Amino acid sequence: MHQDMKKLQYLTTLLVLFVSMLTMSFKDDDVALAVVANEKGAPAALTMKFLKSVVQGDKQRWPDGTKISLAFLKTNTPVGNATAKKLMGMNGDQFNKYWLALVFQGKANAPAFFNTTQELEAYVSTTPGAVGIIDGNQSTKLRSISVDDKKSF
Amino acid sequence: MRNQYIWPGRKSWLLCPAIVLFCLTGFQKKAQAQETQIRGFVHFDAALRDDKVNFTLGEQDLFITSQLSDRISFLGETVFKYSASSPTKFDISIERIVMKYNYYRNHNVLFGKHHTPVNFWNDTYHHGRVFFPTIFRPMMFDQGIIPLHTTGIRLQGQNLGDMRFGYDILVGNGVASDDLTDNNSSKSFMAGFSFRPADKLKLGASYYYDEIPKGATLHHTSLKSRKNVTQQLISGSLSYFDNNFEYLIESTMSINKNDSTGSPISYASYGYFGYRYKKFVPYVKGEYLDMNAKEVYFSNHPQINYLVGLRYEVNYLTVLKLEYAHTETHASGSAPKVKYNSVNFQFAIGF
Repeated sequence: MHQDMKKLQYLTTLLVLFVSMLTMSFKDDDVALAVVANEKGAPAALTMKFLKSVVQGDKQRWPDGTKISLAFLKTNTPVGNATAKKLMGMNGDQFNKYWLALVFQGKANAPAFFNTTQELEAYVSTTPGAVGIIDGNQSTKLRSISVDDKKSF
Repeated sequence: MRNQYIWPGRKSWLLCPAIVLFCLTGFQKKAQAQETQIRGFVHFDAALRDDKVNFTLGEQDLFITSQLSDRISFLGETVFKYSASSPTKFDISIERIVMKYNYYRNHNVLFGKHHTPVNFWNDTYHHGRVFFPTIFRPMMFDQGIIPLHTTGIRLQGQNLGDMRFGYDILVGNGVASDDLTDNNSSKSFMAGFSFRPADKLKLGASYYYDEIPKGATLHHTSLKSRKNVTQQLISGSLSYFDNNFEYLIESTMSINKNDSTGSPISYASYGYFGYRYKKFVPYVKGEYLDMNAKEVYFSNHPQINYLVGLRYEVNYLTVLKLEYAHTETHASGSAPKVKYNSVNFQFAIGF
């Protein structure tokens, strides 16, 4: 009887631990996205299928041989969260975990994550082969890449 | 963090191939700024078994990646873990040192110490408990059936064509060898392929060959081979992880040819199924090791494990797991069968 009580106490403690660590989920924003790229590397137009394969790390190099470098806004920003949702069908946490796992497996180089569009654009403009996802309603001085013949999606 | 890791001197020979490659690649456009990242994983376990609760400090896993140039990269995984035989009660082990040269599109050649990519689990999860769908590795790892590590040269192709075909060819020192020398003139050989016909679905198969002498210790166990063995492993995997459903099924057939009992065939299989509801994933796993009574390398008795569990993913770097498991293990020969039930808890984080 005493042992049963100890087991029950132990299990209850563990369940309380589970419940007490609930956290808030991120708000899911519907944001128009656009693709920008360095002058070198990405072709002027992509299909959505090709873009998705790039964003999920399936490809290491552009057709011209330049190494692909990915640039995203952090998933705690509306654009970063929309990038995860629209291109990968994931929430921000799933997207981050997907990429952490891929890097941990040695199968891809880590993308660069930024807090602001300005930081992302600075990285893309100076990194050959870089491609980034930004707010589709925002003007940019970088080379825009159309996706399925659209400037934003 | 940038460039803060200094390699132990006695492992510096492993850097030689990368240095040679770096010097030989005259077609490097220009040296890029080195980008080094250090990440880590750690976990804490609690287990209730035989009316006793044990708290267990898990491994601290340091994971380092570095992009050295447009085509050369480095990956290192170093684990700090408890060891009763160490004077400090802790050991450091080099789990992976991989220098990768991307020679054409998605084709790479890799040098160093690898997690042998014989199946999905060993190629995917490594030591990061944050990624494990369950608390522990499958039993086939604890029983030494999977050759965890191989030091050698690996050819790798990934996501080729519409079916996202992948291949791995790995030649190494073999299970009985160490990270410095081979124990014999025969190399271990592994060839595997995979494809992903849909985004979340991956199918794979592999073949592994090794010649293992009597007395060799099986990876990450205290078990020793009882005969000279010519080993062949044939493995198959099916994995599917989407936003709701999680399936992972793996099976390995082993043929351990020896002079005493011929070529006994044993099978090790497990199946995992989970269903995600928001941040909660209830799951079940069943595993059966159908070991041949004539086995001279692994245990020659069957082993069973099945469990039901709940995983709560606080965020992508923090995971809690709770499991109830039933296990039946049986060492080789006349050792008694061990049966037990346990309740296990794990708190795993990445940092």
